[in-house]
Amino acid sequence: MIRKALGHIISCKDASRLVSKREDAALSAWQRLVLRLHLSVCTACSRFERQVRFLRSAMQQYRK
Amino acid sequence: MPNAEFARELDPHRGYLLRVARLQLRDEALAEDVVQETLLAALSGSGFSGKSSLRTWLTGILKHKIVDAIRRKQREPTAASAFGDIESEMDVEDLDAMFNERGAWDTKPADWGDPEAALSRRQFLDMMELCLEKLPPNTARVFMMREVMELETDEICKELAINANNLWVILYRARMALRQCVEQNWFAGDSKPN
Repeated sequence: MIRKALGHIISCKDASRLVSKREDAALSAWQRLVLRLHLSVCTACSRFERQVRFLRSAMQQYRK
Repeated sequence: MPNAEFARELDPHRGYLLRVARLQLRDEALAEDVVQETLLAALSGSGFSGKSSLRTWLTGILKHKIVDAIRRKQREPTAASAFGDIESEMDVEDLDAMFNERGAWDTKPADWGDPEAALSRRQFLDMMELCLEKLPPNTARVFMMREVMELETDEICKELAINANNLWVILYRARMALRQCVEQNWFAGDSKPN
């Protein structure tokens, strides 16, 4: 219960933005913490996170 | 290496350079020009050391030519219309609409399984290219600058005269749209009900 509540300090909308921003900038300690808590309880955002990384490797492949 | 032989080695990369230039400039003639300049610079320079792949080296030259082309184009009186409306691409309103009022996904991202296997397939990269073409022009340009040309974020901000926040929104837009396009066109069969 507590874990779930902590996971929802930020919404999926905010979490998805942080996932993208992290590819291009350093997040603050607070942002890293709340994102980690969110990702630990949210399947949809964890998928988004993997997909963003995958897109990055796909673009690297595109260059080869 | 004799020039003619080197020119023959460069030729197979021409199509790739042209695709990358087109995606960023959305202008066929200008894309042809920058690729021509890139190949000429490659032939006249002594730069290729063989440390990186030929394609990586050519991408590095192309990067400078594209940045120059963007600078030239921005100085033209019609620059605003030439590059489309970047303001609308920095607006988060339509991105927010992908979430409900509590900030949860309207349509949750699907499970892509083990997507890495797709990377070795030509059809997958062709499909990615179609998805990139569908992005709004500035979004495609910024994403290509970041992910293919590997420009630093502050360089991109400087060249396009936007701030870091604008840049993050545009890159977020690119990733959200590409993710959705790739999912619909490739991984749809793997999607499981959420």
